[in-house]
Amino acid sequence: MENSKYLTTEEITRDLLPQKFGTRGMIWTGILIAICLVGLFAYYRQLRYGLVVTHMRDYASWGIYISNFVFFVAISLVGSLITAIFRLTNVHWATPLTRIAEIIAVSAIVFASLIIIVDMGRPERFLNLVTHGRIQSPIMWDVIVISTYFCISLLLLYMPLLPDLKIMLQFKEKSGKWLNKLYRFQGSFWKGTAEQFKISERGITILCVTIIPVAFSIHTVTSWLFATTYRPGWDSTNFGAYFISGAFLVGAGGVVVAMYVFRKYYQLEKYITELHFDKMGKLVVMLSLLYLYFNINEFMTPVFKMKKSEASHLTDLFTGEYALMFWSAIIGGLIIPIIVLLFKKGRKPMPMFIIGVMVVVGAWFKRYLIVTPTLLNPFLPMQEVPASYHYYFPSWEEWAIAMGSLAGCLLVITFFARIYPIIPIQETITEQNEKH
Amino acid sequence: MKNTNKIIIAIFAALLALPFCSWSQDSSKKELVLNVSYYMNSNKALYVMTSAKTKVAKKFIPVSGVNISLFLDNDSSAYLLGKVTTDKDGLGKAIIPPALKAAWDLSPKHTFKAVSEASKDFDAADAEASITKSKITIDTLADGDVKTVIVKVASFNGTEWIPMKAVEMKVGISRSAGAILSAGDEATYTTDSTGTAAVEFKKANLPGDEKGNIVLTARVEDNEELGNLTAEKIVPWGAALKSDNSFFNQRTLWSTRFRTPFWLLLMAYSIVIGVWGTIIYLALQIIKIKKIGVNSNVPLS
Repeated sequence: MENSKYLTTEEITRDLLPQKFGTRGMIWTGILIAICLVGLFAYYRQLRYGLVVTHMRDYASWGIYISNFVFFVAISLVGSLITAIFRLTNVHWATPLTRIAEIIAVSAIVFASLIIIVDMGRPERFLNLVTHGRIQSPIMWDVIVISTYFCISLLLLYMPLLPDLKIMLQFKEKSGKWLNKLYRFQGSFWKGTAEQFKISERGITILCVTIIPVAFSIHTVTSWLFATTYRPGWDSTNFGAYFISGAFLVGAGGVVVAMYVFRKYYQLEKYITELHFDKMGKLVVMLSLLYLYFNINEFMTPVFKMKKSEASHLTDLFTGEYALMFWSAIIGGLIIPIIVLLFKKGRKPMPMFIIGVMVVVGAWFKRYLIVTPTLLNPFLPMQEVPASYHYYFPSWEEWAIAMGSLAGCLLVITFFARIYPIIPIQETITEQNEKH
Repeated sequence: MKNTNKIIIAIFAALLALPFCSWSQDSSKKELVLNVSYYMNSNKALYVMTSAKTKVAKKFIPVSGVNISLFLDNDSSAYLLGKVTTDKDGLGKAIIPPALKAAWDLSPKHTFKAVSEASKDFDAADAEASITKSKITIDTLADGDVKTVIVKVASFNGTEWIPMKAVEMKVGISRSAGAILSAGDEATYTTDSTGTAAVEFKKANLPGDEKGNIVLTARVEDNEELGNLTAEKIVPWGAALKSDNSFFNQRTLWSTRFRTPFWLLLMAYSIVIGVWGTIIYLALQIIKIKKIGVNSNVPLS
């Protein structure tokens, strides 16, 4: 809303109140539900017949599920970047993006938790982590930090929502009976008194301070799940920073895609302006450069030494079986975004949307490349094992579950946008009044 | 039309011939190769092992599930040692039963027979192995620092025990999975004209049990005249094993959950308490906001 014309409170409220799905919205939701149902059926088959329905075997024991898990954890980090870091540093232009970032964070972390349970094969064994868990294990740290991050993200989504709930309760006819019940349950006590605002503001500030180290922890710990395992490609001290820089990038890419879609679908051009795309474009360039730097760090030293144990893995990535995927992820998800977004025209909404999609898709494949090629290149050579152990390509059940989880994540965001304002109404009004 | 009839007759003939074809396949059963061996452990436990194998792609592979009858000297039911079914390794074992003691004592030489009847996969097969009754003893001799293992082998001629010369055997220390670590420098040793093999013990300080005991073993394998003989003797020639359990009591990153390092406990719980304390505080703040709202004069929405 910077450098934009003055909008009245009524105009802002009218523009930002959640809207019913149109035809496109219904089709979109229907497609997502269909994908989720196929994923659920595939998961039923996995529960019924066991992990044998997947193509994970003795060597590739982590496959597309863990790639998906790392991807979800990565994209969830955006909540801390857009909401917390920008809020604490008084970056006001990002206000319309905070709720988008937070709902992406919450839904992604929910599905990160679910997909790791899917990977376990026997979901009831999750309880063993409680009854037999060792605090020395990075897996325990991950469980603790994911649940913590989820709670903080949920609070960070909820507390700034309270003033908006009060506004929405004033439009009972528009919301409908059930939504009104929900709004009343969640926020009927918010009266907007000075004391309530004071407590809320302090609470949000505390949350912003708390979420940053927790967000860093969640992805650092996830990287340690790999780095503390002695395998070619994972045996790296660079992994924490490498993962976090990549996570910020994919998160920013995800927000760019979401802000374009919401802007277009809900006609939010007055609130998510070209200025937002321009600034987000610059941010993506900076994060791409940062991630590129850590990628060079990650691959340069082992390539220079080319130790025998690492050579097979690196050759697979650079010139072998995974070369096409690797270079597509690097060039499409990193190099091209940097080049395109350096130009002002590249930071317009449509090119930004395309680049955002490239960043997100590239990031997903990058996670796959972190997990699978390493497992297929163990330090001890594979001997006297069935031929199928030498390769890994996910089964249809794995694809269906993975795609189902991605669709589920999008479905949560979609329903959230249907129920709540995707741009904070009260904060927008306050900022407008402060400016004029 | 004539041609059509011929074709129909040919098809019928072919169909009729099919069962005969399948029958003729029955006649080309695989050859089953049986083997039978005699074992005696410490001059007490006597038993017979049999094995079944067949040739597939120029290689012998064990055959499981083959029913084999084992006999002593004569393949009549009165001399039946036992009926065995081969396991996954193609092996079956039968102990010489007390009922055949009289037959066993009757002669210094015996023949063991293994017989399997024809089955749908294999032709009938048999095998036999002849042995002379024998005994093997193991003893030790210590002269200062020099320790010697003495193994004696003798055969029975019906009236007395005759020392057996030129019997090849392994002499050493029992290791896991039935392996023998040679007591001296040679892999095998041979008895002299007195039926004795003397082996200088050169494997000092081998880990033994808690008292330093090790098991000396002498083993004759697949001897044409004697079969397979084993004798064992426990001697305190090893190094006493002191189990170091202190490792399990250490608080390390790889210990059990009850042995977590204190520094990690302190760090982990400090962080968890700190962060979750903040979350609880914020939850209380929301309750406080709620109370303020309920108690304020502004009407509830």
